[in-house]
Amino acid sequence: MKAIITVFEGFGSTLQLLVQAASHLGSLPRQRARFIEQCYLIGYTTLPIVAILSFFIGSVLALQAGYSMQNFGAKQFIGSLVGLSMARELGPVMVAILLAGRVGSAITAELASMKVYQEVDALVTMNIPPARILVLPRLAAVLVMVPVLAIIADLVGWFGGAIVAKNVAFISIEPEAYFSVLRRYMKFQDVLNGLIKAETFGFVVVLVCCNIGLNTRGGPREIGAAVTRAVVASLILILVLDYFVTKALM
Amino acid sequence: MPALPPSPAVTTRESPAAGVRLENLSKRFGSHVVLQDITLTIEPGEIFVLMGPSGSGKSVLLKHLVGLEAPTSGRAWINGHDATAESTRALVRMAMVFQAGALFNSLTVYDNLALFLREHRLGSEADIRTKVRHALQILSLAGTAAKFPSELSGGMKKRVAIARALVMEPQLMLYDEPTSELDPVMSATITEIIASLKDEYHVTTVVVSHDRDLALNIADRVGILMDSRLIFLGTPAELRQPQDERVARFLYPQIDLAHPRYKQLET
Amino acid sequence: MNQLHQTARVGLFFLLGLALTWVTFETLSGGKLFRPEGYALVAGFESLKELKEGDEVRMAGVKIGVIEKTRLAGRRAEAVLRIDAGTKIASDATASIIMAGLIGTNYVGLDLGSATAAPLAPGSEIRTKVTPDINAIMTELSALGQKLEGALGTFGTSVNGDGKNPGLFQKLDQMVTTNSVRIDATMANLQAITGKLNRGEGTLGKLINDPTLHDELVAAVGEIQSTATQAKSFVADAQGILAQVKSGKGALGALVYDEAAAQDLKAAVANLRAVSDKLAKGEGTLGKLLHDDTLFTSAQSTLRKADRALDGMGDSGPISAVGIVATSLF
Repeated sequence: MKAIITVFEGFGSTLQLLVQAASHLGSLPRQRARFIEQCYLIGYTTLPIVAILSFFIGSVLALQAGYSMQNFGAKQFIGSLVGLSMARELGPVMVAILLAGRVGSAITAELASMKVYQEVDALVTMNIPPARILVLPRLAAVLVMVPVLAIIADLVGWFGGAIVAKNVAFISIEPEAYFSVLRRYMKFQDVLNGLIKAETFGFVVVLVCCNIGLNTRGGPREIGAAVTRAVVASLILILVLDYFVTKALM
Repeated sequence: MPALPPSPAVTTRESPAAGVRLENLSKRFGSHVVLQDITLTIEPGEIFVLMGPSGSGKSVLLKHLVGLEAPTSGRAWINGHDATAESTRALVRMAMVFQAGALFNSLTVYDNLALFLREHRLGSEADIRTKVRHALQILSLAGTAAKFPSELSGGMKKRVAIARALVMEPQLMLYDEPTSELDPVMSATITEIIASLKDEYHVTTVVVSHDRDLALNIADRVGILMDSRLIFLGTPAELRQPQDERVARFLYPQIDLAHPRYKQLET
Repeated sequence: MNQLHQTARVGLFFLLGLALTWVTFETLSGGKLFRPEGYALVAGFESLKELKEGDEVRMAGVKIGVIEKTRLAGRRAEAVLRIDAGTKIASDATASIIMAGLIGTNYVGLDLGSATAAPLAPGSEIRTKVTPDINAIMTELSALGQKLEGALGTFGTSVNGDGKNPGLFQKLDQMVTTNSVRIDATMANLQAITGKLNRGEGTLGKLINDPTLHDELVAAVGEIQSTATQAKSFVADAQGILAQVKSGKGALGALVYDEAAAQDLKAAVANLRAVSDKLAKGEGTLGKLLHDDTLFTSAQSTLRKADRALDGMGDSGPISAVGIVATSLF
């Protein structure tokens, strides 16, 4: 019972935070420096891990698909399989999970420590709403950066698949054939679909992580607990949202 | 602390000091009663020192004044505005010096001081620089502008926190344990600063402390909070000869090694 | 400085993202928005089948554009073809949806049209024709199967009848049944005739059944055969003499082939001429023999008859030979 109430409290405070942040939208141009800094942290520094992971996910997809398809002669469709899976599902979800693990946890840790060490209270007494300078730039940055990360993840994943398809002996599909099949069975709509999903996930992850950070109470020990809670909540939300967003976009 | 160097940049605005009024204010955290039926008026421009044992709810009371906590029952008024309303913070400038400083660890000392002015667009970057430099100079922090809070000592952090509050040109200045964890000389220094700032800017000052010297030396009035109630409200002169036994025991505890208190508590 | 660095990196990063998105868009959708060149043609079909946006338009197998849009227009489906700017489509060219693979890879194929036809204006409609796709082929096959089944069914009814009209076998059956008495009578007559033949009744019966007649016939044939054999040996002798003359053997051979004897031969010929002159005048016995026509004629007719008999025997079996010999001899 208490857990259910906690969950609804979480929803409520998250929405409240979103409304607060949105109400300060006009201040965004003045917060250019903070916005750029958050873009740097959320986008640029996350790029390497996104690239590495999506490369291997693409490779493994091609490998598994090649292995299971070789028996019924459908392995020439690996290109479209890897392409569609990466663009529609794995790319966005992977970017979101990496964001939760790498960026979301950092946001929660930072905001929770600000809260615990009364920096947030200091902002409030200065009449500087935390939603304005702590949450809004992060939300704006994630909206701008996530599509970039997602499209990079898609493309790197495709190339990972192409390399495996060419070089693994029992698959042996030339990149030209791989990409020609990929192009034939994919529309930009599929990629756009994935970008919208990634955008939704990224936004929710950052919002939830901000909220959990700002609602931390107690001593320094609570910071760690808050980070754990934020990452778990983010992962659950990503997968639950994944179903509904996918359904809505169909 | 010598008289502060006058600076037109800091004292440009004639801001009338704010008055505080608490009416039957009570606060509970769950079943734990922290404050019970507090009624108190703090006049504009006075230094009010709130004393009391640790955990008696002094800091919680202070947070009610800036709207960081909302009362369970009763009201808190600042210049006639409800302290819990967000608009009050826009109408009345309040600055709070937190116990641990609450400096923004990700910003330099300079940026810590400049944040308020920048966010509220009070003056050009050049004006802001003048004001910040002046505040740092007042508190003998001139060399620390480019440092991060983590590089500062405890006393310096407290002074930076005071400087940050000062830059805001507040109408109401709140100090939470400004002299705790400091050596006696530094405590005296901070005490002097608080008094000087009040004299210079006529700012209403509320200090939460259990520093007896501070209270006796600079307070206009002193309140003592004990067992979630205000048990004493009077001048420092009255405090020197306390009528209430609890106040006397709190302010002038006897250190009796033959009968230590912790053993009495056990029985 | 650091801030500037960060801004530059974020800006670059964002631009990279934009560029990649654009490249992906270009690659996957043929870049409709960013390639306004070329012109559009409308092709109406009864069904677009598996055709989708972004598929190719080919003329004589060469890619000349893409499918820009597919839409439903009233009672037909329309595909908007975006044709590359440099390509002219003849106004009598026809478009058809062509299946490139079994799993739904299609393109719109245009034929060249005639060389003299004016090119189609942008936005105009191109003629189309329906080509069977795999489904249509399957449908036709199934229809064919049904027809075959139907035909076989009709055949079955014509043979066996369909309940109302009698079939072929039933008609035959009926005919045999109704005429059975007549057939029986015919069979009986036939039997009687063969019986008579067997018993040697009538001329033909006698011919077949009388042994003496048979023996006479065999003897006659034997005689004819021996005559023929003698005639053959006579011919053979004549041939042998002729061969001797050719090889120069004997007096006649030397006469014909020996040059030394040529003079003698001339003289002999001269003598012979004198002799033959005498013969021609009917002098001497030989002359008379030569000049007597009746003798010659009778000999000639005898020879002719023998000749005929020999000819007839050459190209017929023994029995017909008998007939021929008989007719030619008598």
